[in-house]
Amino acid sequence: MSWVRENCVSFLELLCIKVVKTGRVPQHIAFIMDGNRRFAKKNSVDSCAGHYKGFDKLSETLKWCLDLGIPEVTVYAFSIENFKRSKEEVDGLMDLARDKFQRLMDELDQINEWGVRIHVAGRLSLLPEDLRVLVSKAMLATRYNYKLRLNIAYAYTGRDEISRAATHIVDGVKNNELSPQDIDDELVSRTLELGEAELLVRTSGEVRLSDFMLWQVSNTVLYFTDVLWPEFTVYNLLAAIIHFQRNAPPPKAVVDISETKQEFLNKMERQRWQQIEKYVSCP
Amino acid sequence: MLSWQLRQFLFALVHWVVNLLVAIQNVYSRLRIKKCILPQDEVTKSDIRVILKHLPRVTKKLKHLVILADTDKHSVSDLARMVIWSLVAGISYVSFYDSTGELKENEEKLFLEVERNKKGVPGCIKWCRKPDLNGYTNGMQAHTVYINIFSCEDGRPTVVQCIRQIAEDRVVCSRESAEYTAQEIDNILMLMYPSIPDPELVLYTGPLCCTRGLLPWQIRLTEFIQLSLDHSINIDNFIGALYRYNKCDQRFGK
Repeated sequence: MSWVRENCVSFLELLCIKVVKTGRVPQHIAFIMDGNRRFAKKNSVDSCAGHYKGFDKLSETLKWCLDLGIPEVTVYAFSIENFKRSKEEVDGLMDLARDKFQRLMDELDQINEWGVRIHVAGRLSLLPEDLRVLVSKAMLATRYNYKLRLNIAYAYTGRDEISRAATHIVDGVKNNELSPQDIDDELVSRTLELGEAELLVRTSGEVRLSDFMLWQVSNTVLYFTDVLWPEFTVYNLLAAIIHFQRNAPPPKAVVDISETKQEFLNKMERQRWQQIEKYVSCP
Repeated sequence: MLSWQLRQFLFALVHWVVNLLVAIQNVYSRLRIKKCILPQDEVTKSDIRVILKHLPRVTKKLKHLVILADTDKHSVSDLARMVIWSLVAGISYVSFYDSTGELKENEEKLFLEVERNKKGVPGCIKWCRKPDLNGYTNGMQAHTVYINIFSCEDGRPTVVQCIRQIAEDRVVCSRESAEYTAQEIDNILMLMYPSIPDPELVLYTGPLCCTRGLLPWQIRLTEFIQLSLDHSINIDNFIGALYRYNKCDQRFGK
């Protein structure tokens, strides 16, 4: 199954999407794709098959988000804590990722046509070497696409992301790129890999964040739904967006930041890309 | 495919229908509540009986409860009653998240209201920010509730403060590898908060679930449970929320 599915939207679904997008649409939506294993159990297949079904659902969801005109989607694919699962399941999940990122490279023309930019957020050093090379290649190859940014949180936790941002900032002060007074809320927000989501959807009835985007959700509409992720439909997504339209706080104004901070952030971004290039060239 | 006017019309229609459904749901829930309890501003003996009756069935330990308090929607008496219910239910830490900034100013009022409601209920209530308000514990093994009031200042700004102190070398944060780990930052951040366990449960009212900047570092495993849709607070929805919390299954990544 490919990354962005074509022909998965019926006429009626498209009509509903068109109607809902008449109103305010979240500019960044995040998903905790929970319930793959429960789905597998329910349908008496092994958990790995459940995860594959989950990925198929992700590609459908991407298409819906493109149709809705949502420019940024973030998904929680694999937590650092998930390394604690059985070796068999972890290996299965790594194989799934290998398979899908390999597929992505094969379908690159299609991805570029859709304008999807892939960003894998997390502690990449924890990944197996070959997978790290694959995800780095995917990021480099889609770097200049701008229609939809897909952030995949992999080997990620919110606390870890804040800790890595703290490292960059502390080092920035040590290297005299920043002064301690420059450190504020806005700088930390922009040093993090993931931006602030306007709507967060968690499936399968769990009502917690599980260490996902802790810093970024302070103004986010949290939407918890009972449906299992592989059974998630466009109507579930539209219900979440209608809930958002009814309850969302007004969008946050963009804050200007000083030149020093901007320079620091630009440098950090350059270094991040250099690191990714290094992963590809000499793993 | 669709003309702009038609889309606008359908969009308005969808929202109108949803509004109608929500209104019906609200009326229904209000009627149901009216039938069983009369509005009250005191903890009654029957409240305590209800908690003690249901408590044995809530087997999952709840140490730290956070209430997203909105002074525009909740009265001081509502909040005070929840403190007493928590005391009876054996919860050790009750924190209020003050999203409007008015609760911190009115802490004494809340204190007096809690004291008024506490009469006759065994146990001890300690106010973390106001140690002089704390009653005397006579060495008995009475159950104690610690009360904190947090505001958005205790969230992101405290983490920012922590990073700044590390950058200025005012605190020493060990770094084993190239990047800090969550554990290393946690060790430093813990020093900046009163000693509280991470909250297991957040209760909110109304249709919107939003942290509003509540303690970002501490809420990673916290369950968010809605107390009521119409901002009402009563013993029935409090017990209902504890039951729902009891059903939550933490997997810790596994």
